[in-house]
Amino acid sequence: MNNRVLRVAMVALPLLLLSPEIAANAGPQPEHATHGDGHAGTGAKEKKHSMRDAVLWTVYPRLKIMMGGENRAQREVTLLPKNVVPNSIDAYSSNIKSPDAHRQLPYDLVTAKLGKSATGGFYWLSAREDQADKVTVASTVYYMSERGSKNPTAMFMQQKNALEIIPQPFPREHSRYRANEDWKFLVRFNSQLLAKQKVNMVTQNGSKIELLSDAQGIVTVQIPDDFKAIEVQKNTGGHNHGRRSSEFVLATEYVHAGKTYLTGFNNSYGPDAFDQRSLAAGLGFMFLGMIGAVPLLRNRKVAKNTAETGKKEI
Amino acid sequence: MANKIFPTLGRFRFTVQIIMLFVTVYGGALLGTYAVDRISQALPSLSCAYDKVTGDQCILIVTQHQLHHRIGEALVNARHIAINVFIPTLISVGTFFALFFFLNKAFCGWVCPMGTVQELIYRIGRRLGRPLNRFEPRNVHKVRPAKWLMLLVFVLGLPLLAGMGLAADGLGAPYCQVCPSRLATTLLTLDAEQIAVQTSSGIGFFLNATANALFGFVIIAALAARQPFCRICPLLSWNALFQKLSPMRLVKRQHEKCEKCSICQIACPMDIHEIGREHGKKAFHEDCTLCGRCAEYCPDDDVIQIKFFGIRLFGSGREYYKKRVKQESPDGFPKNRVIWLKPINADKNG
Repeated sequence: MNNRVLRVAMVALPLLLLSPEIAANAGPQPEHATHGDGHAGTGAKEKKHSMRDAVLWTVYPRLKIMMGGENRAQREVTLLPKNVVPNSIDAYSSNIKSPDAHRQLPYDLVTAKLGKSATGGFYWLSAREDQADKVTVASTVYYMSERGSKNPTAMFMQQKNALEIIPQPFPREHSRYRANEDWKFLVRFNSQLLAKQKVNMVTQNGSKIELLSDAQGIVTVQIPDDFKAIEVQKNTGGHNHGRRSSEFVLATEYVHAGKTYLTGFNNSYGPDAFDQRSLAAGLGFMFLGMIGAVPLLRNRKVAKNTAETGKKEI
Repeated sequence: MANKIFPTLGRFRFTVQIIMLFVTVYGGALLGTYAVDRISQALPSLSCAYDKVTGDQCILIVTQHQLHHRIGEALVNARHIAINVFIPTLISVGTFFALFFFLNKAFCGWVCPMGTVQELIYRIGRRLGRPLNRFEPRNVHKVRPAKWLMLLVFVLGLPLLAGMGLAADGLGAPYCQVCPSRLATTLLTLDAEQIAVQTSSGIGFFLNATANALFGFVIIAALAARQPFCRICPLLSWNALFQKLSPMRLVKRQHEKCEKCSICQIACPMDIHEIGREHGKKAFHEDCTLCGRCAEYCPDDDVIQIKFFGIRLFGSGREYYKKRVKQESPDGFPKNRVIWLKPINADKNG
């Protein structure tokens, strides 16, 4: 059943929707959705994820984020560029007035490290490879759940590379990209909107979608619901609460003055909101609670001293 | 002009409640996607982070996360206990207190979306002619400890134990999983996801099922009882911890008529019988939500007042009382009411 119809019906008729066929599937916990674990878990889960990731699922440039360290206080963020051999890897903070607003990260030709910053918030991470005839950029967003985060919109809209795919908006803390949701992205070149620009989406679960930007340079992406064929990850602890997660990359190519620009934006996404959840059971328990309160509604025989007012004392 | 728009404190409070309901439930849509990051992330009312368009989020979710992910982990690895572990928690509590300092528990009575939803349902209950169920003095003490138990177990205890690895990771934010505000505020945005219970883990299923049953109970009970969930809300007890530190106070002076009157007790939506009997500090009870109804329905001048730094913001008065009771009885029955369902004993009462 269409979720939107279901949602509207839920509000209008909470008592009538007890039919079993509306039992939907599960949903990830919104908590911690972007607490810096958007791309991978820790420990055993990380190994499993890496094995899946070892299979080349896209040729587009992307930045893989890996978490290290046993506890949150010392967790380290490692960036692994894929399908791009960057000359530099840069980090842009949503705290645009801080000294760390733009940093070039130390890069050892394999990985780069994003050190823990004094303030939290959104980080735009970008790996760029400059060649004579081609510029390749991989970009992603990482959220550090520390206090002091700023509205990242201004940072997102700063020009960081020539060809850019910018989320409009990026999921805020306690939210994430999820299957069957529509999200918008702006495509632009040297800050000029690119209308009717072809954008390709590829997911780790095997979906391939071709999209076209509108007159405002906006491409609307419906995150594919392609988890069904993927094995359910077991909860191995760590910080992402056993949520299933996969990765997508959006890529676009543009030729200007004889030079080719290829840019990718990648991030993680989760299953549909109702994945591993039962709406029918939820309604059933709510109904039970309602029944439990029904005796309070009855105008029972009241105590003599309060009879005039119709009030009952428990 | 202001007197015409807001002839009573009750009308003013109701207007604030409706505005705050929109800010806390839909504020993100009005103020921008990332508004929640900019306001406080430590609001002293049940503004739910699960609501995707909320304007701010409640202090309890932050507290649970920090106990789970920072303090609990740090206690296990004692060498990691450092100032940078506790600072985020202190900043959260500090931000909360910066807000709380000015309004005290008025966040419960004026801002909390769950409180407003219950009050709206109660008003519907009056229109439907449902009875009013109250706790009498000899029984109310039985329910009062529940809010402290909720705070100690669900907000502080289990998240800390989960962070230390002594409880399941799924118990990292258990209060949010049973909070009826999570269901109420997300349903108000037409999002049914939170009504659906988790089936991926036994703990998640149990907590969600409890939340749904509690939510179902509360929305029906609110038709015939005032603020049923507030009685056990851990934010009420959390706020009570800081109640004495704010200059916003409910003040009551001793008056000879108080022992016989008790109208303020009837007006109190939290069944605080002490407001009728006590005076001084004892009258500002830990369950008080600073809704101001006791002051509105006290028929004597300045016996009950709401003060900020000793300055009188509102005080009881005979003339105000006469005006107020013409609109609504102390227990919330509207005088110009249209009763949709006739109460059984309406004829007998005339």
